[in-house]
Amino acid sequence: MRLLLVEDEVDIQSFLRRSLEEAGYQVDAASDGKTAEKLAVEAPYDLLIVDLGLPDQDGITLILKLRQLGVAAPVLILSARRSVDDRVRGLEQGGDDYLTKPFALAELLARLRNLLKRNSPPGNEATRLRVLDLELDLLRREASRSGELLQLTSQEFVLLEYLCRNAGRVVTRSMILDKVWGMRIQPDTNVVDVHIYRLRGKVDGKGQQPLIRTLRGVGYVLKDR
Amino acid sequence: MRSAAWRISLWATLAFACGTMLVFVFLHRFMAKDIQRRSDAWLSGEVEVLEDVAERTPKDALYVRVVGEVAELAGKEVPNRDLSESAPNDSVFFLQTDADGAPRLWVGAGDGEAHRKAIRAVNILPDRPMDLQVKGIGVPFRVASIRMDDGSRIYLGLSERDELKVLRSLRVRFLFLWILIVLLGFGIVFFTTWRMLSRVRQITEAASGIGHSDLNSRVPTTGKNDEVAHLALTLNRMLDRIENSMRQLHTITDSLAHDLRSPLTAIRGKLEMSLSADPHAEQAESIVSAIEELDRLTDFLNKSLDVAEAKADALRLTLTEIDLDELLRVMIDLYGPSMSEKGLQIHLCSAGPLMVAADAALLHRMVANLFDNELKHLPASHSITIRLQSDEEAATLILEDDGPGFDSEICPHLFERRVKGRDSNGHGLGLAFIDAVARAHGGAATAANREPGGARIAITLPLASSNSGLHSSALRDAC
Repeated sequence: MRLLLVEDEVDIQSFLRRSLEEAGYQVDAASDGKTAEKLAVEAPYDLLIVDLGLPDQDGITLILKLRQLGVAAPVLILSARRSVDDRVRGLEQGGDDYLTKPFALAELLARLRNLLKRNSPPGNEATRLRVLDLELDLLRREASRSGELLQLTSQEFVLLEYLCRNAGRVVTRSMILDKVWGMRIQPDTNVVDVHIYRLRGKVDGKGQQPLIRTLRGVGYVLKDR
Repeated sequence: MRSAAWRISLWATLAFACGTMLVFVFLHRFMAKDIQRRSDAWLSGEVEVLEDVAERTPKDALYVRVVGEVAELAGKEVPNRDLSESAPNDSVFFLQTDADGAPRLWVGAGDGEAHRKAIRAVNILPDRPMDLQVKGIGVPFRVASIRMDDGSRIYLGLSERDELKVLRSLRVRFLFLWILIVLLGFGIVFFTTWRMLSRVRQITEAASGIGHSDLNSRVPTTGKNDEVAHLALTLNRMLDRIENSMRQLHTITDSLAHDLRSPLTAIRGKLEMSLSADPHAEQAESIVSAIEELDRLTDFLNKSLDVAEAKADALRLTLTEIDLDELLRVMIDLYGPSMSEKGLQIHLCSAGPLMVAADAALLHRMVANLFDNELKHLPASHSITIRLQSDEEAATLILEDDGPGFDSEICPHLFERRVKGRDSNGHGLGLAFIDAVARAHGGAATAANREPGGARIAITLPLASSNSGLHSSALRDAC
């Protein structure tokens, strides 16, 4: 997977590049719109990450120009602005995504995966999810561990399903709030932790290998091995 | 607006009607006097002629015939006389009396007895015509008298009937014309003011439509060069200036946000990377708390800028229709476990879907703020009740708890920035943010301590247009 990262802040560019490469992507970086244009036209990329505040031109102008030049790869827009521009909304409806700075790396990676998945042909939607000895029946909304049925509320099931779909990957609290409760909020209380704590009490029974791990300061991960 | 047009036209018409009426009264009096002056001049002249005739005519058998004929002739030359009158001439009488008042000669309608009685009752001075009311005749006479050398008196009377008829017809015609003119004047004044005010109304409507989110529109201007056009131009210039300062405010907050968020992003990224490199390092704990602090700082930055923009009526909203009832249920679902961990109970009292027109992201953050506040500040084993109400225009969210309430010393300043209770470790933006969001939507927020104890926060938000109106009627059964 080849990514083009367009970001003028040196610090942000370097840490993004490093963590993206660690995550297994091939990354080219550009610090201004002109370079980005040249790179994007020369070589095909699977995805673009574009900061809105570029020194020589507006990020959206760049994206629209690239679209005209035939670059069809999905774009993840990074914005340090306060309000979401109408044009960004337009792009979002067109299949692109945006992320407000500052963000958690886990969230950036999750959004990248989503964008790339959207671009690939859709496979058959599974009706069952399986992570180690944890099994979810998506049709009957039932979860079981080692063959034993778990007594979950419907909300807990949605939460567990989200963790399973991202098994092995970090999910942050704001990602959980966004996907499970449909809200982009930042509570300054531990509401999400309590939900995870309760879910863990039901999923990770006594004597079983704990599946839901807390990564302090980052989020949670459902172990898949 | 219409009432103003009515008022102006009524007052203008009243002034116009009074003015014209006054002018007519003066004119009428002038004419009446003039007519009377002419009658008096004629009477004085005729009475002298008659005296002369009576003097010269020998007092024989022919005297009565001669004087009578002259008097009758004089009666045919009456001024102001209505010629169409074919009835016998009763508008003039001639009377000669002896020195003792006994009648000597009478020329006129009837036997003159009533006239003589009336004359005797009033002392008529010579050389000066006077009014005389004769019993049995509705219209008064104007009577001139002269005293002859032999002591007898000559009276010549002229009925004022024709004079009064002229004046009456004048009055009737004037009244007719006056009503017509006044009605026409009212119509013209009303039409003009109504047109003028309807332009003002257009401007008002356009101006009230220009809210904080839409500053691009302008009030309609016409090519005219009058006061209303100037008003429109001035309003538009004022809007230009407001839009300009608004844009400047946005530029400032945007660049402030940008300048702070970029380094925050870099710092957060680096911290995350060093944490993921070795999650069990000695410094892991401090890195984790640094990341958490950083997130709080970001949240604080966002809220401060939102509150600042909202205070300046410059918060940019993307309005959608949101079901407040559903939002609260989701929030209770989200916060419920944390609250019950702390021993708090929460109840929702709502009669089903209630659509409000609001910015989803801001509304979510506002409600989350309310719940965060309760979760942080309400002591264990208390309960929270949330009620949803609505009237024709607004939805109201009322949150009440039975805890200790707000500190009494901060009560008057609850919605100000940096105001927080003694034991609060927040940055004092929570309620200011709630108030700011409510205001930005055209609603309001109130907070107070309840009478039996506890806090009460009420937030009103404008209803979405698609509301069925079922909510308020169904509420009575819900709670």
